[in-house]
Amino acid sequence: MKKSSRLLPSLLSIILGASLLAGCGGGSTSDSGGQAGESGGSSGGGEIVAKIGVVSFLSGSGAAYGEAQKAGLELAQAELNKANEGKLKIELLFEDSGGKKESAINAVNKLINQDNVVAIIGPTLSGEMFAAGPIANEAETPIFGISNTAEGINDIGEYVFRNSLPESIAIPTAMKKAVDKLGLKTAAFIYAANDDFSVSGFQTMKKTAEELGLENLGESTFSIGDVDFSAQLTKVKELNPDALLISGLYKEGSMIVKKARELGIQSTIIGGNGFNNPKVFEIAGDAAEGLIVATPFSPEKQDEKVQAFVKAFEEKYGKKPDQFAAQAYDALYIMSQSLLQAGEADRNKLRDALAQLKDFNGVSGKLSFDENRNPIGEAVVVVAKGGKYVPFE
Amino acid sequence: MDLFNPYNLQVITFIVLNGILAISIYITLATGQLSLGHAGFMSIGAYVASILTKQADVPLIFALLLGGLIAGVIALLIGAPTLKLHGLYLAIATLGFGEVVRVIFLNMEITNGALGITGLKSIGSTLYDWLKVTGLTGDSFGLSVLQMKAVLTLLFLLLLFGLVLFLTLRLHRSRIGRAFEAIKADETAAKAMGLPVAYYKMLAFIIGAVLAGFCGGLFAHITTTITPDDFNYHKVVEILSFAVIGGSEIVWGPLFGAFILTTLPEVLRVLAEYKMIMYGAIMVLVMAFRPHGLIGTDTFAKLFDRRRKQAARQAEEGM
Repeated sequence: MKKSSRLLPSLLSIILGASLLAGCGGGSTSDSGGQAGESGGSSGGGEIVAKIGVVSFLSGSGAAYGEAQKAGLELAQAELNKANEGKLKIELLFEDSGGKKESAINAVNKLINQDNVVAIIGPTLSGEMFAAGPIANEAETPIFGISNTAEGINDIGEYVFRNSLPESIAIPTAMKKAVDKLGLKTAAFIYAANDDFSVSGFQTMKKTAEELGLENLGESTFSIGDVDFSAQLTKVKELNPDALLISGLYKEGSMIVKKARELGIQSTIIGGNGFNNPKVFEIAGDAAEGLIVATPFSPEKQDEKVQAFVKAFEEKYGKKPDQFAAQAYDALYIMSQSLLQAGEADRNKLRDALAQLKDFNGVSGKLSFDENRNPIGEAVVVVAKGGKYVPFE
Repeated sequence: MDLFNPYNLQVITFIVLNGILAISIYITLATGQLSLGHAGFMSIGAYVASILTKQADVPLIFALLLGGLIAGVIALLIGAPTLKLHGLYLAIATLGFGEVVRVIFLNMEITNGALGITGLKSIGSTLYDWLKVTGLTGDSFGLSVLQMKAVLTLLFLLLLFGLVLFLTLRLHRSRIGRAFEAIKADETAAKAMGLPVAYYKMLAFIIGAVLAGFCGGLFAHITTTITPDDFNYHKVVEILSFAVIGGSEIVWGPLFGAFILTTLPEVLRVLAEYKMIMYGAIMVLVMAFRPHGLIGTDTFAKLFDRRRKQAARQAEEGM
């Protein structure tokens, strides 16, 4: 009797395992009809049907970014399918990467080989793009980054695109404008040494400072997760630079801004791309006043297109869009424009059309690609005023 | 199921890779040591192999082996002071080791800090280049270049996995394996029997570390990019959960755990947002019904036992 009562659970778990196996087999057969050669839907009856895959950070620590991207894409999809009715129908297939490389690789492989998408938008993180980009490139499928700002993304291959301005464009724009307007002479740096995004931002800042002739008074580092920055900031106070340049994520960055003002540091603070988050004002409060940041997108920008997008987004989701939603929104518009130009849902034709993109006018500014498919665009320089970012004049 | 679809091949490749990792954690656990340093050893192997192939143009296989060996040497140095610790204390010490390794890699020049190493040549590409020398291409087998690379990667990993599994099974039946088992059951008794406990524990620790380092090299050359963050605390938990879910009594346990935990996220893709809920629920169910893991020494025994009883009963009825 005792024996059988212990046997039941063990059998149950084996059944569980077996059912998983069965699920695996079944799920894959149903979808793997077509082969990789013929891709992404048909163009029968004049209407192009294009399947576009999206790999995004939808669960885990960075889910906020993924959700914003998904919202932006879905809004664009609804608008585009209505506007291009009879000409182009876009289907979006979302896959979660959870911010993990293996998962991003699997997702990209699945979209290309099983779902036969014509192109992929994403993945969210630069690290994921470095892992998944080469796979799409080898499979000759365009992959379009909408939030990868690291250096070297475009060097992966000919099929890799992005509309997210690399930090090497955004940060210098902000620094240059600040130096011009405020006549800054000296600078001190503080950055998160254990975060790839922040380190890459810092390197750009340092290079730009040299080019602009800003005197480098000192560099200090912190780690993501730190809460006390007094030691580093006391040093900065002694140096008394004209500009304090911070490269970090919004949480630590905002705390540094707050602490710096508490210690009485009067320098102009210029932040990296990490500061493009409304949470900055929640954490830093009044101390954020005067903070200068470059952003690809500002919902406050007085532009017809931007305001229409902000209104539509607020109606649908009940909140203001951030840069991630805006860049995702633009990416789908670029895709549809290029698909219409290509005339059919073909991976190679779409790639060629994308490579020719010129003067695309989106909500995150004008965009063209240079011969290496690097985005050429403009960043908006904003300054914190009264609890929000307003264009810096 | 379309076997030659690169997506399926990729998932199977990750299953096999995690299978080798599962064996590495199993061997350390076989002496009753709970080590949380596997992600650390993995990162050492990954960085050593990557730097060797990328900057010194060392052939892939030597780079992988060297990565594993160096992880083993580090394990020897770390093991000397820490293996005197038991249970939870050892876990904490090795966890600390893993974090230290990660922070060192974050701050080193040659590892490119937090930005990591990118643009490594994948295993598939390396093997395909070798194959081309012999005059064979994908066309010879009726496969595309992409499929061919995926197939080659998988074959390479399967070969390694088979070798490691074979050696592990042999080890289990050897004198060393019996010693491991005795130490796991009761360390004091094993010592009283005259077994050099410290030696065997160190041996298990080092074998585990070498395998983990080897896996690190493989991981780096499958994903083609590594950053220190790939080997953080989450990776430790992932490796350990192979043994927790699958069971750590026999080698099939962690292997089954690795299989389940690698397949599950892919199978559950269909569920999109509800994926993580299902994933969690399945974990809880497993823990509720099988707290020692899905597969234990009793699993096979019971299945066979039952069949034998049935056979006996049928024989009786027949008489």
